[in-house]
Amino acid sequence: MIAGPAAFSVGAGHGNVRGMSLPRRLRSAILLAVACSAATVATVATVAIAAAPATPATKPATPREPLPFALDPYPGTYRPMPRVDTMVTGATVLDGAGRRLDHASVLMRDGKIVAIGPELAAPAGVTVVDARGRWVTPGIVDIHTHLGDFPFPFASTDFNHSDVGEVTDPNTAGVWAEHSITVQDPAFMRAIAAGVTTVQVLPGSANLFGGRGVVLHNVPATTVQAKKFAGAPPSLKMACGENPKYDYGDLGRFPSSRMGNVYGYRVAFLEAKQYLADWEAYERGDKAEPPKRDLKLDTLAGVLHGDVKVHVHCYRADEMAVLLDVAREFGFRITAFHHAVEAYKIAGLLRQSGTCSAVWSDWWGYKQEAFDAIRENAAYLDAAGACVMMHSDSAIIGQRLVLEAGKAMAAGNRMGLGIAKEHAIAWVTRVPARTLGLGDRIGTLEPGKNADLVVWSGDPFSVYTLADEVFVDGALVFDRRDPRRQPASDLEAGLPSRGAAR
Amino acid sequence: MTCLRWRPVPLATALAVAAWIPLAAGGATLAITNARAFTGDSAQAVDRATIVVEDGRIASVTAAGAVPAGAQVVDAQGAIVTAGLMGAGTQLGLVELYSLKETTDPAVSKGPLGAAFDVEYAMNANSTLIPQARADGVTRALSYPTGSASAPFSGLAAVLRLDDSPTLIERPRAGLFIVTGGIAAMQGAGSRSAQWQLIRNAFDEAKQYRPTGKVGGPRDQQLNRLDIEALRAVLAQRLPLGIFAYRESDIRQAVQLGQDYGLRVIIYGGTEAWRVADLLAAQGAGVVLDPVANLPATFDDLGVRADNAALLQRAGVTLAFFAPGIQLNHNVGTAIREAAGVAVANGLPWNEALRALTANPAKLWGMDDHYGRLARGQDADLVIWSGDPLEPASVPLAVYVRGEAMPLDTRQKALRERYDPRHAQDPWPPAYR
Repeated sequence: MIAGPAAFSVGAGHGNVRGMSLPRRLRSAILLAVACSAATVATVATVAIAAAPATPATKPATPREPLPFALDPYPGTYRPMPRVDTMVTGATVLDGAGRRLDHASVLMRDGKIVAIGPELAAPAGVTVVDARGRWVTPGIVDIHTHLGDFPFPFASTDFNHSDVGEVTDPNTAGVWAEHSITVQDPAFMRAIAAGVTTVQVLPGSANLFGGRGVVLHNVPATTVQAKKFAGAPPSLKMACGENPKYDYGDLGRFPSSRMGNVYGYRVAFLEAKQYLADWEAYERGDKAEPPKRDLKLDTLAGVLHGDVKVHVHCYRADEMAVLLDVAREFGFRITAFHHAVEAYKIAGLLRQSGTCSAVWSDWWGYKQEAFDAIRENAAYLDAAGACVMMHSDSAIIGQRLVLEAGKAMAAGNRMGLGIAKEHAIAWVTRVPARTLGLGDRIGTLEPGKNADLVVWSGDPFSVYTLADEVFVDGALVFDRRDPRRQPASDLEAGLPSRGAAR
Repeated sequence: MTCLRWRPVPLATALAVAAWIPLAAGGATLAITNARAFTGDSAQAVDRATIVVEDGRIASVTAAGAVPAGAQVVDAQGAIVTAGLMGAGTQLGLVELYSLKETTDPAVSKGPLGAAFDVEYAMNANSTLIPQARADGVTRALSYPTGSASAPFSGLAAVLRLDDSPTLIERPRAGLFIVTGGIAAMQGAGSRSAQWQLIRNAFDEAKQYRPTGKVGGPRDQQLNRLDIEALRAVLAQRLPLGIFAYRESDIRQAVQLGQDYGLRVIIYGGTEAWRVADLLAAQGAGVVLDPVANLPATFDDLGVRADNAALLQRAGVTLAFFAPGIQLNHNVGTAIREAAGVAVANGLPWNEALRALTANPAKLWGMDDHYGRLARGQDADLVIWSGDPLEPASVPLAVYVRGEAMPLDTRQKALRERYDPRHAQDPWPPAYR
């Protein structure tokens, strides 16, 4: 994670927040890691779970209790906000599916995209948004955030008790990021104002297995359940490289090396394999009693069972290649490598494996494993036919994810790769949506898709452009010209930021 | 004068141009023609400008101006030309990889060095960050210490010139840095009140200090001789005092300190500076801030506003930008340009944003007599841009420091060429490329 670096004026420099030396583990969380390590969370919730959840939400019923791994015992309560059928007209549209349409309109009805094209007539009763001279894209999807689990403002209590990660054990596959989320984090609000409509919130990267992520609609809500994206497949955050080996090695604990990291993965997956086999034996009726529930093994068995998507914080190409081998050994797929600054070195291997890379445009050098970052990373992967997208890991650059794509596109084009804006926009819309397993619902402006849509003041690849109107499921959740449609978190209520100068 | 004869270079189509512009020999005359020159003085560009450089300095910037006989000519083909940028707050030359302490020198945590801690002796001109910064348009930088053994003092900063020389330092001991605020106070004496008392006491002791000529022996003072001598220089030479302060109360204390001790204060951070804009303008205190900050990083920042820069500029405060965080040094060139663009998106006039990257930091750090604008007599730090420099996707096509064309090679360039997709079928590993 890195809400920190971009957010904290490292006024006093790196390794410090405002002059204060950070504990090593938090430093790697917010300054070096950019990626997810964290401070300790003191209390581990003891969760009593019945062998069979009362309401199996996502899996069809089976003769016996369903496999518990993929069940969500805390179903979301999200409901779209009040909406009216709306047509955006006269815009330059990048539809996320690879097309650029000039002077085009997009019709949203009942929260869905129903039509898109240059010659649409507005049906009677539909609210029309005149977008002449403006641009329209799908809502932005950020696949790597710490919105809410590393909330603003950073507080001294976060030095040792940050909610971003449970850094008491290298395997905390049983913790869920959604249980750490401060919904009043103002960063959610800034992201809405920046056109970000869907986010994945991940645990930090201190651990080999950091825990489960959660996919949220980026709408204001007073509970996390009211933000959850129903039906989004569960995900697991893993980490390789420096964070786990330093965070635990510095304490004289396991792991302290990259080989230790890999041993840790294999031991855990071996155990999960047995756990899964036990459950399947029970399912078949070969065993009378179900295995004892284990929340860590639930997650890992879900990975082996194909229910849980695997997101791995990993910088170096050689380590990514080893992780691909581990996945092959245990028969699961790695959905995406995050940060992936050296992915360009193994673009062909990543194409063959079908594993995506989620990258920054240009961050480098803040830690040893980021020394070989190049700005052409995304473009080179794209040119090789590998799956690539932009991510933020930062509530600050997450507000300019299209600009991130633009920087990466420009770097590629300087190398002659000829990447068009209608292609690069997919790096922050269609590709992350598909990677989250939501490609049939969000990520493009095609009939039948959710009406998650942004009207930009101009070319979204320009630094001067702002999101004017943001729709989620057809509801206008942000309007730059209407102060009543500019959400602020409770934290911001009554603060001097909303007052006047003296 | 022996001058290199040169043909117009099609800059817009030749990105590698700088690699084949010979470095101008000392004393050569250079003429950049057909430039869209933003001088820093006027918001209006000088279109089709001819920029004449003699002896490393700007001789003239004239619309459709004549090319002096024998000058080396570079045709900018309508591209924007600005002064080289200045990073107003960096640790360039002091850091390589933050996670490796043996490669980072901006702070000291034990020993006798407090205010006296001076970063000049660690400057590494071979740092991979220097050519990257230059290739992104930065030709000057302020490199400041981030902490000393005697908080809240951090030590003495240096002004850098990113030419191709082995030294980097244009001016050592350029100013003193101090860090205040809630989190720093928590680590130090426990109250920010103590921070300000310690700072005031230090300057009081420095004023009253009389060398005894003797070594050792008890003395009724907090500071050691090294620190006192550093502070006396700040007082005597009116060196700028860079004070990290975010909350309004601390910014007001900083301004008051400047008044009481006759110090030139530059606020760094300045989250709530917009609330104090008129006072800062009246006292001539500049602000170096991060325009992308629109979230309360700590409880010192609850008054954060995206239009901080615009509000301060409107009040007449001299502004410059830095990019605290991951990009502070490694991507300083792109990060401060993007930050400036974000400031424009939030109401700052474009030319003022450009000035915040050039003329303003030059003024704050006392370099404006020779750097920061495209004007006769100024050092010819010039950048020819592929597009609008405040768009972070734009890149320099050519960079000059004091009239010399700089190589734009970086470590990243070597890597990107090594892994160019056109090599995909090469059966030999990249190690052979």
